Amino acid sequence: MGCWLSKQVKHTPGYEEPAVLAAETAFTVSEVEALYELFRKISYSIFKDGLIHKEEFQLALFKNSKKNNLFADRIFDLFDLKRNGVIDFGEFVRSLSVFHPNTAQDEKIAFAFRLYDLRSTGFIEREELKEMVLALLNESELCLSDDLVETIVDQTCKLVDSNSDGKIDPIEWKEFVRKNPSLLKNMTLPYLKDITMAFPSFVMSSEVDDEVLD
Amino acid sequence: MSAQKAKRQVGKYELGQTIGIGTFAKVRLARNLDTGEHVAIKILLKEKVLKHKLHEQIMREIATMKLIKHPNVIRLQEVMGSKSKIFIVLEYATGGELFNNIVNHGRMGEVEARRYFHQLIYAIDFCHSRGVYHRDLKLENLLVDASGNLKVSDFGFSALHQELRDDGLLHTTCGTPNYVPPEVLKNRGYDGAPADLWSCGVILFTLLAGYLPFEDHNSINLYKKIATANFTFPSWFSFGIKRLLTRILDPNPVTRITISEILEDEWFRKGDNPPVFDGTNETSLDDVHAAFKVSQDHQMMGKEEQPAALNAFELIGLSKGLNLGSLFNIEQEFKRETRFTSTCSANEIIRKIEEATKPLGYDIQKKNYKMMLRNIKAGRKGNLNVSAEVFQVAPSLHMVEVRKAKGDTLEFHQFYKTLSTSLKDVIWLS
Repeated sequence: MGCWLSKQVKHTPGYEEPAVLAAETAFTVSEVEALYELFRKISYSIFKDGLIHKEEFQLALFKNSKKNNLFADRIFDLFDLKRNGVIDFGEFVRSLSVFHPNTAQDEKIAFAFRLYDLRSTGFIEREELKEMVLALLNESELCLSDDLVETIVDQTCKLVDSNSDGKIDPIEWKEFVRKNPSLLKNMTLPYLKDITMAFPSFVMSSEVDDEVLD
Repeated sequence: MSAQKAKRQVGKYELGQTIGIGTFAKVRLARNLDTGEHVAIKILLKEKVLKHKLHEQIMREIATMKLIKHPNVIRLQEVMGSKSKIFIVLEYATGGELFNNIVNHGRMGEVEARRYFHQLIYAIDFCHSRGVYHRDLKLENLLVDASGNLKVSDFGFSALHQELRDDGLLHTTCGTPNYVPPEVLKNRGYDGAPADLWSCGVILFTLLAGYLPFEDHNSINLYKKIATANFTFPSWFSFGIKRLLTRILDPNPVTRITISEILEDEWFRKGDNPPVFDGTNETSLDDVHAAFKVSQDHQMMGKEEQPAALNAFELIGLSKGLNLGSLFNIEQEFKRETRFTSTCSANEIIRKIEEATKPLGYDIQKKNYKMMLRNIKAGRKGNLNVSAEVFQVAPSLHMVEVRKAKGDTLEFHQFYKTLSTSLKDVIWLS
């Protein structure tokens, strides 16, 4: 309630109260405010409109705004919850929360599934798997013969597709990840626990009421 | 005004009594309601910080402190903000100040003093290696935890050490000058490393003597004594300690003993006990053990003689596009793991790694295509342990993953640089 008394600060479009976002995610109010510093840095890097565009996302990830990458595209699309081509602050915080070390494993498993389900059919098809393997090899500048790629894809399909219907469903995926927890390594960012120390300047603009911080 | 709450809460912390008041900050004891753990919270008024234009310096110092994770340095845990205040959450040392220890129990024996001095020197060396200098080391800044280990406080917060004088200006040389080296008193630019060491010398003297080496109620006289290192040893000081202290309390910072020379000193080396790192924020030891367990699915090729083959999802997981950590690496932190590919056979890769690391003093353990490299000599943050594993991408192509299992990330980074130079002919560049 004290917020109304403070002088009007101009926020990015799609800004939401840190307290609201903190209540919905794994983050504390201070962590959300620290993330806002990071968000502003990224969202003002090229277009300066307080929304993260694809090019800005690529710039932050690869230090190169023109570097296309299938997986970065998928992450961007999943972060873009409203499906309007840009990531606003609320979407940024809610999506990053999946990567918080305290977030439930199941949430991470589900996110990874949607990430690899390139065409959002509810299944990871063999073709999608092959497309992703080719994208990785291309990104790493590794040349493998088509036969070898087929072998790798076939062997993995055999491992995961327990009902042998030629595609991977969420249950098979969950089972496979339980046996290979390292597959979720990318889904946890230890940095998120140190975020208030990484972007401490948020304290100067904090609008949190003095008496209630959480 | 609203009624005072019985128990003030800030974030997940319940505030307790005030345990310190400084020029810019008030320190309160607090309890983390999630973990029950006690912390010390430095509370600063934004208005005051802004008025003295200290905010940028404080922000920089927080970012620096974040890098200091050492068992003998009070750790910065998190930062919080509100409309009018800044809260800096720090590890709390339950044993209080070493200063009180001396006040209550008098001077200590050489064995006890040496143990604290070891921990002090290791902590300082670690911070210096990261370009962080204390500049205000004194007995009052040395705390003791529940198990009697030393914790240096206020590292990297020199902005808060400044004193506001009547002229309204900030002065860095402040407080008790008894620990301040001659070059700082002369108000010239000075090097942080020898300056910190001088203070360590004053601390060591005080622990063993029960009083300060330089003391005078007249500050002009005190400055004179410091400038010429005019002090006398009590009769009970041993020859070894006198020799070491003479080298530390050298008024010339250029000829003063360095940390690496202290580490070689005879008195110092007696009963040397390098710091024990608790492994917080490190890859857990389970990981290391797991690296030595033959994982089930990696055996899908069925043959022990072959390195584990990466499945398609493991391969995909290597994409840089999936590593969102890079979003946060705006201020560069060093990587804990790294990979390279090679067209050499797995056995040849293993052999080359062995050849490259043995001369560096690494103890090597092998199991199939996994290696554990342990540096027998302790580093700044304990032994550096590195695990390396060769995976098969395709019969003609291998990937090697080199991971820090234990030790300092900065040292790992240097290790990897050395390793990759000697493996030049193995690494495949397309």
